[in-house]
Amino acid sequence: MIISDKQQLKMLSPAEFQLLHEGTCRLLSQVGVKVTHEGIAEMLMSRGAQRKGERILIPQSMVENILEKTAKSIKFDAPDPAYGFTVNAAENQVKFGTGGQALYVVDRTSSEWVRRPAGTDDLKQILALCDQLKQVDFVTRPVECDVPEDQMDVEKARIFREYCSKPMNLANLIKLNRLDEVLEIIGDPAHVSFIVCLISSPLVMDSSAGDKLIAIVEKDLPVAISSCTQGGSTAPFSEVGELLQLNAELLFGYVLANAVRPGAQVLYRGIPITSNLYSDGSPRWCQPESIRRVALAAQLCRFYNLPCCGTAGVSDEAEPSSQAISEKVFSWTYEIASGAHYINSALGMLEQVMSVSYYQYVIDDIALGIVKKKFEENPSEDISKIAVSAAVEALSYFGVSIDEKVEAELAARIQHIENPLEPYSEEYIDEQLSVIEKAVTRSKSSTVFMTTARKGLREGYLYRGNRIDAPLNLSQVAEKLKAIAAP
Amino acid sequence: MSKAELLKSLEHAIVMGHLDAEDEGFDGTMEGTPGTVELVEEALEEGVEPQKILEVFGKAMERVGDLFESGEYFLPDMLASAECVGEAMDIIEPKLEAGRSSEKGKFLIATVEGDLHDIGKNIVATMLKGAGYQVQDLGIDVPADDILKSIEEFKPDFVGLSALLTTTMIEMEKVVKQIREKGYSDIKVLIGGAPTSEEFAEKIGADEYCRDVMDALNKLEEMKAAS
Repeated sequence: MIISDKQQLKMLSPAEFQLLHEGTCRLLSQVGVKVTHEGIAEMLMSRGAQRKGERILIPQSMVENILEKTAKSIKFDAPDPAYGFTVNAAENQVKFGTGGQALYVVDRTSSEWVRRPAGTDDLKQILALCDQLKQVDFVTRPVECDVPEDQMDVEKARIFREYCSKPMNLANLIKLNRLDEVLEIIGDPAHVSFIVCLISSPLVMDSSAGDKLIAIVEKDLPVAISSCTQGGSTAPFSEVGELLQLNAELLFGYVLANAVRPGAQVLYRGIPITSNLYSDGSPRWCQPESIRRVALAAQLCRFYNLPCCGTAGVSDEAEPSSQAISEKVFSWTYEIASGAHYINSALGMLEQVMSVSYYQYVIDDIALGIVKKKFEENPSEDISKIAVSAAVEALSYFGVSIDEKVEAELAARIQHIENPLEPYSEEYIDEQLSVIEKAVTRSKSSTVFMTTARKGLREGYLYRGNRIDAPLNLSQVAEKLKAIAAP
Repeated sequence: MSKAELLKSLEHAIVMGHLDAEDEGFDGTMEGTPGTVELVEEALEEGVEPQKILEVFGKAMERVGDLFESGEYFLPDMLASAECVGEAMDIIEPKLEAGRSSEKGKFLIATVEGDLHDIGKNIVATMLKGAGYQVQDLGIDVPADDILKSIEEFKPDFVGLSALLTTTMIEMEKVVKQIREKGYSDIKVLIGGAPTSEEFAEKIGADEYCRDVMDALNKLEEMKAAS
């Protein structure tokens, strides 16, 4: 799907993005990243980084050199060549895929939704299903196999080889020593990409993930470096503070990957969501403030002219519902408009990445088709109008009647997504950098982020609206699922 | 300020989650005014008995609990108050008679090996400390052997294990098995973290699965009442 320049959303000015970049560089050069992996620390220091205790400080010039050199174009081949595509950093083109490492599958019985543990058979069924869904451009491992841990990578590779003809994203490599075997099973390494969560927020490098990143980059395979911060628990509650930390964590990944192989094929995968500080601190993936923050991360990536791996459509709902559809439509719309190229976790996901549902894959395939059609039909329309119009059409498609209450709720969510609550000034950025520094130098960073969230919580940083509750008519979904033969 | 006024101010500081003079407190306006730490130190200097200070902690946390129940307070508010009590306990603990601080019980907590996540663990550790438990926090990525060694030294009544990853939750099973094999049958093991569940707790032989921090506090009270 190609979006026009007019449709590409920029919620901040170039000067504000530049301030974020400068703030990020101050964070990396003054606070740095905790690295306990001696080999990696030595390698980074040999390229210009400095050491301060256990922390590695990255100078601004080093970051900027790397941003220039890293790959701007990444090719994703597929077993069926017709599905292959290339992501070019400067283009407004978007592809969608599945995602997650869901533990559960939500099935439909005659009277209710039932959650059960996911396993190897589900991986086969979901890959076969996604091979036939029109909106799935690539497949990221949706569930793990229920085999012993040391066999997971190879079992997953076997199943992908058998059931997937689209570009394959195997997500995380569980055992580094299985990488060669995995590539051998897949047959052609050009069909495969990975995701690495290099940093444990805030700003601590995971040594094992570091080794995996190095191995993947040494083989010149595409890899999305991922950071999923949670404002209020693993990052500042402030949108500005969270973006600074997230960006620093991702740019550190770029520095490491490009130190291993200049021109490394890295995608920027920033998922700055929030924690539910009203109750138990659980992640809020698809609420308006998280949609805004994730969209801003994609825009920041495009500001750098980097290939962008977005994340959209991970509903917070436990089962397929009208609320889930409304969350997903807004999330996809703003992520597309923000210029993400390769959008992960876009179909099938429920309950904050904990569950998937066969029904949800088909629902999402239909709803995402509606969103894409709206972009294509209205190339100069406001994004807010595209979002509302797509939500209304998608909900209506599944039998939800749109009354004034639903319209008002959709409008309130748009307002929360589009309107900034914080300044992007140098002074405010410095304030947020102090919060991050305080958190990383204390043993319990999450309590720092949480206790400093009290003011923002009362200023409405977390959206508090109404649910959209109406029964769905899923007869067409059931028919479509029946028509797709099980493997 | 009289001793009674001092204790009243201390109670207010805890309810407002005002840790020290550098902290902005509940509404962002309290920076520069004496917080819990300064007020406890002043109370001790003025000769207030540590026991009286402990009573204030209990009263303040009860009020915070009520405010949370009524929806006026949220998780960060409760956590800030618990943190105040935790810090204040560190100040008065040496002045308490031996064993007094662990009346509620000793709680050992850790994120299991291979897992670097600490949000849930930190919240639980802070809240339990604030609620009067003697807490030893072993941190993240803790091997089973280290947990066993700490059990031997700390002699906890409860062990809390946390994991956020599907690949590390299985480590919990190993820890529970080793705890039981070592013969610590009286120690109650509680588990928590996004991928865990009641069924998983049952499967690995843990005593309780805790959905969140409030669930953990309630289950601990129930277990104490039952014993």
